[in-house]
Amino acid sequence: MSPLRLPTYHQSALGTLRAAARGPAARRRARFYHSYDHSQPPPFTPAESAILSAAISHVPRHGFTINALKQGARDVGYLDVSTNLLPRGVFDLINYHLVTQRLALKDSVQFAEGQQAGGKTLGVGAKVRALTLARLRANQGVIDCWQEALAIMAQPSYVAASVAELARLADEIWFLAGDTSVDTSWYTKRASLSAIYSATDVFMTQDRSRNFTETEEFLDARLEDSNRIGLFLGGLGEWADYTAHSAVNVLRSKGVRM
Amino acid sequence: MSAPASRLLLRRRLIDAGKKRVSREPYRCFSCSVQLAQQQKPRPKSPQDAPSTTHFGFETIAEQLKEQRVGAVFSSVASSYDAMNDFMSLGIHRLWKDHFVRNLNPGCNPLTSSSKQGMNILDIAGGTGDIAFRMLEHASTINHDAHTRVTVADINPDMLAEGKKRALQTPYARSSRLKFVEANAEKLDMIPDSSVDLYTVAFGIRNFTHKDAAIREAFRVLKPGGVFACLEFSKVNNSLFDAVYKRWSFGAIPLIGQLVAGDRDSYQYLVESIERFPSQTEFRDMIQEAGFLVPGQGWEDLTGGIAAIHKGVKPL
Repeated sequence: MSPLRLPTYHQSALGTLRAAARGPAARRRARFYHSYDHSQPPPFTPAESAILSAAISHVPRHGFTINALKQGARDVGYLDVSTNLLPRGVFDLINYHLVTQRLALKDSVQFAEGQQAGGKTLGVGAKVRALTLARLRANQGVIDCWQEALAIMAQPSYVAASVAELARLADEIWFLAGDTSVDTSWYTKRASLSAIYSATDVFMTQDRSRNFTETEEFLDARLEDSNRIGLFLGGLGEWADYTAHSAVNVLRSKGVRM
Repeated sequence: MSAPASRLLLRRRLIDAGKKRVSREPYRCFSCSVQLAQQQKPRPKSPQDAPSTTHFGFETIAEQLKEQRVGAVFSSVASSYDAMNDFMSLGIHRLWKDHFVRNLNPGCNPLTSSSKQGMNILDIAGGTGDIAFRMLEHASTINHDAHTRVTVADINPDMLAEGKKRALQTPYARSSRLKFVEANAEKLDMIPDSSVDLYTVAFGIRNFTHKDAAIREAFRVLKPGGVFACLEFSKVNNSLFDAVYKRWSFGAIPLIGQLVAGDRDSYQYLVESIERFPSQTEFRDMIQEAGFLVPGQGWEDLTGGIAAIHKGVKPL
C-alpha cells in the first residue's frame, strides 16, 4: 500500500462522528495532483452534504437564498439555526452546485475509447466542446437563479474562491478531454477555456432560445475565435523565432562572437 | 546582654531586612506577574491544593476561589461596563457583537418557516443583555419573528441587575420573550436536555473555571442540530500587530480602568485572562471534543484575531 493512502475511518458510529468532525482537516489533506489509484476524499462532510443536497432542490423555488438553505436543513431533520454549519451561507450552496457538477462531469460524458464515433475519432477540441456544453447544460435546472448566483460569486469576499473553482473546472475539462500537454500551452489552454466558459455562462442566463441553441452557437463561435487566435499566436511565435535565429546567424556570419 | 551578642543580633536583623527588600511583595503589574508566574512554577505545591488549582489572570489560585474572585471583578465593573468596553476596544466591540448576531441570523421568518414557535435562545454570561437585545431586535426586525425568546443567564446578580435596568429601555422588558436567570454555566439544572436552539456566550467563557464542563453542558441543553456560538478574545495572527496590541492591552487598558472605573485590578485581571485563554485551534479542538461538528475551519477571526467567533453544531 502506498504511504500516500489516506487512513480509512473505522466503521463504528464514533468513527463516522470523527470523520465528520475532521471535515476541514480531511479537506486540507486532499491531494493537489490527480491519482488514478486512489479516490479523493469527499469534498463535503456528511452533515454538510446532507443539508446542501436537500437545499439544492429548493433552489428553483427559493433561488440561492438563505431560505433554500433553511428548507434543506429542515428536510433532513436539522433546525433553521443549523445553517450556521455553513460558514459562507449562500455561497456554500452555490459552491456545492459548482463542485458536484464539476465532479459529475466525468460520469455524465463518456467518450468511446478507441472506437469510431460518427465515422471518425473525436479530437481533443471536439471533446472539450462536448464537455463544456455538458457542464453548461447542468445549469439548466437553476438557470433562472443563475444571474443571482453569478452576482454572489462576484462579491469581493468570494471572488478568489469562485475563480479557483473556475480554474478547477477548466482543468477538469482539459483532463477529461485527454490533453497531455506539458509545455506553456497547459496554462494558455486552461486560461482561454476559463474565459470562454465564463463568457458563455453569462450569455446562457439571457438565452431564451429552445434547448439553448443560441448558447451552443455562441460557444462554437468563441472556440473558433480561440482557435484562430491560437493559430495566429502560434504563427507569430514561429515567425519571431525564425527572425531571431536569422538575425543571430547574420551577425555571426559578420564575425560577431555569440 | 553582652556587646558581641547584641552586634550579632543587629547583623542578623540587617540581613533579614535585606532579604525582605529583595523578595518584596509583588504588586499587580505585567512585569511582576510574569516574574510571579515564573517564580511560582518551581515552588512545590502543598499536596492538598495541587490537583485543584486554576488560574486567575496570571495568578494561580485554588479552584473554589476563582468563581468568587471573578464574581468580585464583575460586581465591581457592572455599572461602568459599557463605557469601559467602548474605551478599551475603541468602540469596536459593538461591531463584533453586531456581526456575531447578524451571522447567527436568529429568528424564524413565519412566512417561510413551518415552525411557529420561534427559536429558544440561551445567552450565557450575558448579564448586561448586550447580545440578548441584539438577537431579539434581529429576530423581530429582520426575520419578522415575534416568538423567539431569549433566556439570559449569568452567575453574577450585579450584572443581571444592570441588564434588567437596561431592558426597561427596550420593548422586551415586560414581554415573555426575555427572561433573566442567575445560573452557573457549568450546572444549568433549570434547563432541560435538548431544549435550546441556539446557545451563545460572548466574552464570558474566558472566566469559567471549567471551560470543558461548560461546553459539555451546552451540548446537553442543545437540541440536535442546535448551535453553540462563542464570541471571545483570541490570539492575534500577525506578530507586528500583536506587539502593538500587547502594548495597548497591558499598558493602556489597566490605566483606563483606573481612570474611568477607578478599578485597576479588575482590568489587570481582564487582560491577563485574555492572555491565558486558549488559541483558536486549541479552543476549536475543545469544542470538537465535546462532540460538536464545527463549520469550516471552526472559527472566524475578527480584527486580525483580537477576537474570534467559534461555532459548533450538535449532530443529529
